[in-house]
Amino acid sequence: MSIYWVIAYFLVLALTLIYKTPIVRGPWLFLLRSFFPNWKFFHTVGYVPHLYARASQVSANGEHTWTAWEHLYPRTSPSFWQLFHNPHTNLGLAQQNLIDHFWADLNDAPDGSDPRSLVTYQMVAHFVQGVLKNKHPQHSHSQFELRMLLDNTTGTVHTHVMMTSPVEVLS
Amino acid sequence: MTLDWTIPFVLSTPWAIRALELLFALSAGIQTLEYWRMQAAMQGKGLWVWSIQRQDIPTAWIRDVLDKLFTPTMFRVLLLTRLLALLSLLVQGGNLLNIGFLFVSNLAVLIRWRGAFNGGSDFMSLVVITGLLIAQVASCFTDTEVAWRAGFWYITIQAMTSYFMSGSVKLLQPEWRNGSAMTIFLNAAIHGPLPSGHWLRKPWLATSGSWAFIVWECAAPLALLDARLALIFCLIAALFHFLVFWFFGLNRFFWAWVATFPAIVWCSGQI
Repeated sequence: MSIYWVIAYFLVLALTLIYKTPIVRGPWLFLLRSFFPNWKFFHTVGYVPHLYARASQVSANGEHTWTAWEHLYPRTSPSFWQLFHNPHTNLGLAQQNLIDHFWADLNDAPDGSDPRSLVTYQMVAHFVQGVLKNKHPQHSHSQFELRMLLDNTTGTVHTHVMMTSPVEVLS
Repeated sequence: MTLDWTIPFVLSTPWAIRALELLFALSAGIQTLEYWRMQAAMQGKGLWVWSIQRQDIPTAWIRDVLDKLFTPTMFRVLLLTRLLALLSLLVQGGNLLNIGFLFVSNLAVLIRWRGAFNGGSDFMSLVVITGLLIAQVASCFTDTEVAWRAGFWYITIQAMTSYFMSGSVKLLQPEWRNGSAMTIFLNAAIHGPLPSGHWLRKPWLATSGSWAFIVWECAAPLALLDARLALIFCLIAALFHFLVFWFFGLNRFFWAWVATFPAIVWCSGQI
């Protein structure tokens, strides 16, 4: 008897791939989303959000001298022992997940709204400050951009800027 | 071990329970020790400071409770208590107290990371601890065999759904069918980009690999037809998750899915 239930279940699953249902949203649903997994991993190829940041020094007459834009994208080297303990790589993956959520928040925000009210914006701004302060302790200001990169099998084929932050004082 | 296809193979319930508890304890233990090492990223100039994240909590009194729970000291206590509960699961086996605590503390840790730290591995870890909780709670009301049947089936259905859905959505994408998606994702992976002469840059190999994964994932429910098929399926799955770990750095995925294997093998022996 169980086999019929299992077959019926996977038939329903196959139907869900064809028929789309409305997306239910809410702050608690977001925080408890682990109860409702969609199990869709690495499924679509397209534009991916990437974080870039730069720092500046201000001259006596108020002009900014900027560093080059730095790509804040996590990269690590594989090792067999990371199968058992891998905090550095997992933090990098979590960082990139947050950038994805930041992009999704910006995408969902109403036109004309201030992105600085978003929790993801504040987290990214705080993170950028920490990274730039560490790398460029003598610099006084920071700025970051969210860029959308489209890759093919050989490299990035198109980029556009989704958001540029205001210039902030490095604190 | 040789598989005798002439007699039915069934994984005994006590063996399945013990294997499930041990593998979950190992998986959750690895995660908890990693959280311990990540505390610097949750304070000061780290990305994950609670003073900003607390705005995510919509209910004032829950926010106040979480403010107290997520102080650096209390969070360390939470992680240490989780390690003790996992040790008790490892040594003594599951009971309502240690499983109940692991379930609730798992939710607290997930909320600390805005609902999920590592995506899929969090989802599957929650599935396994929920299955263990179902078995413990149901044991209070009905006989243990029925309670574990419910827990095992919950885990198995979710695990099989994960493979089936993951394969099916890839099947619907032209970039997966022509193999280019695999190369693109590997280049963007945390261990990427692939070296210029890497074998997975060869289009025919990327296409063959993509189709192998798609067909295998879509066929996952067939493993439920026989426990020996399920054993073979789990061996291939372990290799698959190891490759995902090696190329994408997702070690938690490996352990989270391996922890479901005893339930899959047990259920496949029941059909």
